[in-house]
Amino acid sequence: MESINYRRGGIVFDIQRYSIHDGPGIRTIAFFQGCPLSCGWCCNPESQSMKPVLLFNAEVCVHCGKCLNACKYGALSVKNLSLIDRGTCVTCGECVKVCPAGALVIKGKEMTTGQLVKELKKDAITFRRSGGGVTLSGGEPLAQSDFAVELLKACKEQGWHTAMETTGLASDDVLKKVFPWVDLVLLDIKAFDSNVHKKYTGISNDVILKNSVIISDIAPTVVRIPTVPGVNASAGEYEAICAHVKKMNGVDTIHILPYHTYGENKYSLLGEEYPMKGLACLSKEEIESLKKTVEAEGFKCVIGG
Amino acid sequence: MIAKGFTNPTARVEKLKRMIIDAVPYVESERAVLVTESYKETEGLPAITRRAKAVEKIFNSLPVTIRDDELIVGAITKNPRSTEICPEFSFDWVAKEFDTMGTRLADPFQIPKETAAELAEAFKYWPGRTTSDLASNYMSAEAKDCQASGVFTVGNYFYGGVGHITVDYGKILKKGFRGVLAEVVEALDKLDRTEPGYIKKQQFYNAVIIAYSAAINFAQRYAAKASELASIETNPTRKAELLQIAQNCSRVPEHGAATFWEACQTFWFIHAMIQIESSGHSISPGRFDQYMYPYLKADKAISKEFAQELVDCVWIKLNDVNKTRDEVSAQAFAGYAVFQNLCVGGQTEEGLDATNDLSYMCMEATAHVALPQPSFSIRVWQGTPDEFLYRASEVVRLGLGVPAMYNDEVIIPALTNRGISLRDARNYCLIGCVEPQVPCKTEGWHDAAFFNVAKILEITLNNGKILGRQIGPVTGDITTFKSMDDFYDAFSKQMSYFVHYLAEADNCVDLAHGERAPLPFLSAMVEDCIGRGKSVQEGGAIYNFTGPQAFGVADTGDSMYAIQKNVFEDGKISLDQLKKALDANFGYPVGTTLQGGVIEGGSLPSENTGGVRVSGSSPDIEQKVYEIVQKVLKGASSVDLTDIKSKCSLGLPPRGSGDYEGIRRLLDSTPCFGNDNDEVDFVARKCAQIYCYEVEKYRNPRGGQFQAGIYPVSANVLFGKDVLALPNGRLAKAPLADGVSPRAGKDVSGPTAAASSVAKLDHSVASNGTLYNQKFLPSALAGDKGLQNFAAMIRTYFDKKGMHVQFNVIDRDTMLEAQKDPDHHRDLVVRVAGYSAQFVVLAKEVQDDIISRTEQTF
Repeated sequence: MESINYRRGGIVFDIQRYSIHDGPGIRTIAFFQGCPLSCGWCCNPESQSMKPVLLFNAEVCVHCGKCLNACKYGALSVKNLSLIDRGTCVTCGECVKVCPAGALVIKGKEMTTGQLVKELKKDAITFRRSGGGVTLSGGEPLAQSDFAVELLKACKEQGWHTAMETTGLASDDVLKKVFPWVDLVLLDIKAFDSNVHKKYTGISNDVILKNSVIISDIAPTVVRIPTVPGVNASAGEYEAICAHVKKMNGVDTIHILPYHTYGENKYSLLGEEYPMKGLACLSKEEIESLKKTVEAEGFKCVIGG
Repeated sequence: MIAKGFTNPTARVEKLKRMIIDAVPYVESERAVLVTESYKETEGLPAITRRAKAVEKIFNSLPVTIRDDELIVGAITKNPRSTEICPEFSFDWVAKEFDTMGTRLADPFQIPKETAAELAEAFKYWPGRTTSDLASNYMSAEAKDCQASGVFTVGNYFYGGVGHITVDYGKILKKGFRGVLAEVVEALDKLDRTEPGYIKKQQFYNAVIIAYSAAINFAQRYAAKASELASIETNPTRKAELLQIAQNCSRVPEHGAATFWEACQTFWFIHAMIQIESSGHSISPGRFDQYMYPYLKADKAISKEFAQELVDCVWIKLNDVNKTRDEVSAQAFAGYAVFQNLCVGGQTEEGLDATNDLSYMCMEATAHVALPQPSFSIRVWQGTPDEFLYRASEVVRLGLGVPAMYNDEVIIPALTNRGISLRDARNYCLIGCVEPQVPCKTEGWHDAAFFNVAKILEITLNNGKILGRQIGPVTGDITTFKSMDDFYDAFSKQMSYFVHYLAEADNCVDLAHGERAPLPFLSAMVEDCIGRGKSVQEGGAIYNFTGPQAFGVADTGDSMYAIQKNVFEDGKISLDQLKKALDANFGYPVGTTLQGGVIEGGSLPSENTGGVRVSGSSPDIEQKVYEIVQKVLKGASSVDLTDIKSKCSLGLPPRGSGDYEGIRRLLDSTPCFGNDNDEVDFVARKCAQIYCYEVEKYRNPRGGQFQAGIYPVSANVLFGKDVLALPNGRLAKAPLADGVSPRAGKDVSGPTAAASSVAKLDHSVASNGTLYNQKFLPSALAGDKGLQNFAAMIRTYFDKKGMHVQFNVIDRDTMLEAQKDPDHHRDLVVRVAGYSAQFVVLAKEVQDDIISRTEQTF
């Protein structure tokens, strides 16, 4: 067994227990902070920054003003609705401490591998009883690859099943370092057309497509398509993605993740506009039709993963 | 496929079910009139003889009623789902409600004028002669004071029979009532007439002979009635059924059962007759799949389908039983609850898996009948087959709130810790809500009292005072306390004081039952009453307990932790500030909710709020907020006050005034029980243990021990009204947490975290039972994967030594819809606490409480 550096730390923005849709059994998801992509439909926009972020919920704010006095950096004001000057804010957390209403929250906190494993252990019996395990998600876990590797090794030492939700954007070295420890890769392919990919995620998909093949050589992989109307929810785009997946090693299942708006209110907590504002969700029929397309290409298909 | 689905019930079962659903519950007078006549005739005789004569008269004269389409017969009342009255326990409350019981909010019963007149006439005999009169005369003023102040109540057995028992159905199935008579005759023969105790024993044996001779006649009267109906029946199929029913009733329960049909009929006669003898509820069938299975197995002629229909018919009969209670108790037991707990699975006395075909047929019957009774339970242990747990999860998925699940791995050691033999402990069944009992051998007094742990905390915070009166001991002004140890010391002293009076009150009621209501019919089916020659009420059973149940554990734990963290660890508020905020109910008028609603009832005086406040309608509160903000911001240059003012007037919900609201929010946002946080969870554990260890110090007049339980029925709503503001940010009068569940809406880390917190309590010392409610949306159980994950969750909770868990799988919208349109949702059955009920018959507040329990999805 390789030695594990339990002191290796990183930034985790959430830990979600009793997850039943991201790998087999009942799982705990460790959400890693930070993502190189900035997809317009992202439902965890607070996870995109590589640093912790301060969220402000105007709806529960009681306007007591205590936070304004607590901030030593002058990052808070009530002039604009968002309250926070993000350029100035250092997420020191002083305002959070004084807020009586819970309107201010910092997402993202430094944790060592050891601390995280301690938290994950709370569900060790659940993992054993359900055939579940740990899923690394984000953000993008590969963006904190050293941390991810230590965590994965530690999970394997506990005998837990490991899964990773990833978009696969990393160097060859990182891929070879991380994926031997992953039992199931849930790999996002958001678009086959490079221009479309760049337009909506901010990054070209050349590396992602190349990496997808390498990853599937190392670990069992399922491809997931976050499916957004007007972006990739077309038979043409789907056929192109399927054609690519056939080049990967042993992938027999594709998950359709239909666009949803559950993350929309988080943008206001960040003081941002929702990029996909007004975009309607796919109808049941549209999703079923895409499922048929996937199955016609010879893949098993699950809606929602 | 793991899921097997369920078949449809037969047309007969559908019809019988419809009869139950459409039934309008009535109060009937026959039993009350008969028992009164009998008591007038037996003045001066020993109590046991008077009870025997009374039950003889009732069995010989109660109207015989066979309902259309029934295969299993025997009715307690003429009208379906109605109730008889037992004035020998208490009667005032019925008389008080003659005109109003038909229209009251919780569990209405119709009382026709002539019934009321007959009852009123019968009641004239009873003043001074009831068990409750005697109990009241035994009780000290202090014990009564505690109850009037909402600390605890022993009302259950104060007003009614004890019930809460599983008798030896197996014995009667085997050798019939004649077998009991033979046993007693033999005991009479063997009486040692050189020792003076034989006199009372002889009276007991004679009483049993009187009761069982009449009991045999009760069944024979049904045989005659069935023959009579057969003779005029024109439908040949029904005629044949009636003739068979006549034959069954002429054979059983006088003799042992020869067929499965006879076995079902025997079961039902025993079960109904116990509920005719006394008003005690929670008469529990117990391990039906164990004592009935030999008769199914031996019946080579019966088809699987017909056997299932018979089981379904037994389930229907269990829904025909009903009890009325006084208006307040009716709220606590909301939903026409009769708590007939029937359990399947688990292990045998030998420690082997007990699951059999009948266990699965009981699940099928539960799906077919889909009514609140029986309170259906399963026992789970390490050796429980996955198939059994998956099937049970499939029943859970139907959304009926059953089965409740019990963990052998906790309950068996908990029982052996109470001096029960390992073999007997392995044979445990469940009584009423959640109470483990060794069947056929126990007088468990399981529902002995409701004890309000949160009220003890309130009293502690007020130095022993309740609303300014010194009722508990003086344990110190909390603003002078220096550490949490001071709090725990004071809390323990108050606990000790009030538990003492709880035990006293229970024992007064216990004595009264022993002296005035020894029950000969019931007793002969409980070991070792015949051997000892005395009734269960006088200590005839092998195992004797008294089990008061607590609620408000999570409220108390969260409050203690909120003090520990905010006062002593973080120093965010002082004890002085805390006390002032609590005294001011955080600035809210007592009797209002955070949303501005009004809570009525309870022992606390409400402040006049001039009705329901509408969100954002109070300009003075907005002005106040504005002023405070102005004060706070004085000196801060970059602030636009007009901007804040405009925001304030956008419409703030009603809030407590000033800094009190800040303190409340601080307390409310403190980590709380239910999120798998050791620090706070272990505080709840400690508070619960303080209660449990205090209770088990006491003994009852039957020679048994007190044992604590932690389950609320639905008293957590009712008794919450007696509790002032708490340091967890809860306002005065708001509902308390139910059972061992986290406070409503406070378990926000998912179901595995919540269950893990609950499992950290010391369930084994609460051997009278604990109750954990979890609510799931149907989507969490969808598909085979859902069933597997669900079963894994249960196994995990039980691995961690949780004792009991039950599930409401229902979506919120359905319930809101049902509140608006009850007529179209009469079939909606929800798990209330230890039992299921038709949602639409519950009081609005209980409905709201169910809706607000955290919905667990993913």
